[in-house]
Formats: sequence, C-alpha cells, structure tokens
Amino acid sequence: MRRRTAIVGAVALVSLIGIVACAPMQVRTYVPRDSDIRKYHTYGWAPTGAFDTGDPRLDNNTIFIERLQSAVERQMARKGWASAPANQADLVIHFHARIDQRLDLKSVRSGQVSEDADGGPLVYDAGTLLLDFIEPRSKTLVWRGWAEGSVDGVIDNQAWMNEKVDTAVERILAAFPAMAVPSAAVASKP
Amino acid sequence: MRSQWADRWVRAGLVVSVLGLNACAPVRVSSHVDTRTDFSRFKTFDWGPADALPAGDPRLDANGFFKDHMQGAVERQMVLKGYEHAGEGDTPDVRIHFHAVIRERLNVSALDVRQGFCSGADCSAGVSEFEEGTLIVDVMDARTNQLVWRGWAQDSVGDTLKNQDKLANRIDQSVKGLMGTLPGRR
Repeated sequence: MRRRTAIVGAVALVSLIGIVACAPMQVRTYVPRDSDIRKYHTYGWAPTGAFDTGDPRLDNNTIFIERLQSAVERQMARKGWASAPANQADLVIHFHARIDQRLDLKSVRSGQVSEDADGGPLVYDAGTLLLDFIEPRSKTLVWRGWAEGSVDGVIDNQAWMNEKVDTAVERILAAFPAMAVPSAAVASKP
Repeated sequence: MRSQWADRWVRAGLVVSVLGLNACAPVRVSSHVDTRTDFSRFKTFDWGPADALPAGDPRLDANGFFKDHMQGAVERQMVLKGYEHAGEGDTPDVRIHFHAVIRERLNVSALDVRQGFCSGADCSAGVSEFEEGTLIVDVMDARTNQLVWRGWAQDSVGDTLKNQDKLANRIDQSVKGLMGTLPGRR
C-alpha cells in the first residue's frame, strides 16, 4: 500500500517536473454543436487589419503573419482544402496571436521561492495562437482551434519562431476535418 | 560562525557584481527578415511619411530630441552599411519607419536560490515591476510597401527618459546593435 503511494507520488512528481521543465504546448478545439464542416469546400483569409498581439515585436509584423498564413495553407492543402479569394470562399479564417507575460506560481508562492525551482524561468512569455473558421454570410463560428505555450526567447530567434509556428499550426489543424472529395474536383482555380 | 561571515561577504560581493553587470548590460537586439527578398537590389533609402512615425509613448511623442537623434543614428548605420539617402524628390528603394514602445514588465529575482545561498523559508523572491523599452526599426520595400526587415532592441528604461545624455547614449547603442543584422551592401 505504502509502496503504491510512493510510485504514484513518483509518477506525479516526474510529470510535474516535465510540465515545469518544457511547458508543453496545449492544443484545444471548439466546434459548435450544429456546425457541419462537410458543407464547405473552400477557405480564404479574412482581411488582417492592425491587430494587437501584446508584443511590440509582433504587432503589424507582416513577416510573421505571412509565415503563419503559409503554414496554415500548407496544412489545409494537405487536408484537401482549396483556397479561394475571401469574397468567394465558403469559410474565412480569422487568426489571433497574443503574447502575455506570466508568473510561474508553482515556483513563487507568497513571496517565497520553493526549493524545487530548478532554474527555469519564473517569469516567461506565454503565447496563444488561435484560428477561427467563420461562415462569412451568417458570420457564424464553424470551427475554432488554438494552441498555448511558453514562447520565452522564441520571438528573438526567427528560425525557432518559424518552427514553433509550424508545429502549433500543424497540431491545431490536426483535428480539422479533411476533405472527403479530392480538392481538384471542387477547386475552380483560374 | 566564521563561515557565516564568509558567506555574507560572498553574498555582498555577488550583489555588487550583479549590480555592476546590470548597469552596463548589453541591450537585447534581434530581427526578422523576409527571406524571399533580395536585398542587393536596394540601394537608396528615405524616411516613411512623417505622420506614420509615432513614438508610441507620450513621453517620447512630444520629444523632438528623440526623433532627431534616432533618425541620425539610423542614418549613420545605413550609410555604414553602404546604403545612400535618396536624393530630393527621388523615389527611394526602401522606406524606414521607427517607433518605440514602453510597457510594464515583471521581474523575479531568485538569484539567491539559484546560487544556493538560501533554502526553504529563508528564500524570498523579489517580484518587481520595471519599464521595458522596445525600439523598432522597420524597413519597407518602397515599391510594394511590404515589410522586408524589422529589427528591435529591448532594455529596461529606468530613468533614461529623464536624462537626455543617457537617452542619446542608449539610442546609439541600441541602433548600432539592432542594425547589425540588416543585410548590408558591403
């Protein structure tokens, strides 16, 4: 009995250390109950106006935006979706990127640093990337997916940022339905 | 007893050295580049339209010195990199925009724990707020109006804004650092 508790404790400890040490990316999706993605065949981009990311390095940074859009386009193409101009697309994508500074409350508790604080950052930048698929005529949300995780030091390193964007987009869209019909049959590209 | 005193001296020495480090810590600089752009076709530069150059902070917006000094510093680095200021009335190859953003950030000093100078309840984590300044320089392709390069420098602002000499110094250091990664012509 005691041994079992010890094992459970050890497993819990190991997984906790894992969380603190690499703060893995969390990916979630939200699909409204009545949404039926099979009705749609093409997607486009909603116009990107000025948007507030919470980080001056990313605000209106079209180098970042284009990287994000090409990552999405790659994943969508893999799933058989055809892109179309926004005014003709069945679905338009709105994206949000946001960076907030977070305080690691596991290591800082009531002004004290616990002993197991292992040198990881106590204050870090957390990034959220969100993709909304909207039905443009009714303006209803059809599908939402987002990823959250630490992006500490990532923005300052373009190669790392690109990698992070690619991974986040791939994981967010992993749950997005693939097209049943090959896109060539549907797409009417000029 | 003796070792406790020794401990204190080591600790004091460490605090002093860390303070010294902070005082002249290098500004953090980095950049993003549009990898599809061939920079060798750019030769001349000019400033973006004046109304598109807000400093982004009321203390800097009203500060003509900041804008003048910033333009001077950027221009110097551009010339050092082999770019030329476009002639009067000529269309430049690239237009440069810059702005500054100042925001409140949190800092946690947990140095004592990391260095093993305390343990358990003796350790206090100092959570403090500081003002972080970000200086951003954008280079746009004048023909397409697309961003082709963005460089930035980030640092704690402290009392820099109140002291013109300090501000000038900081601008020079930041611009020199951040412009370092812009592809040059020589």
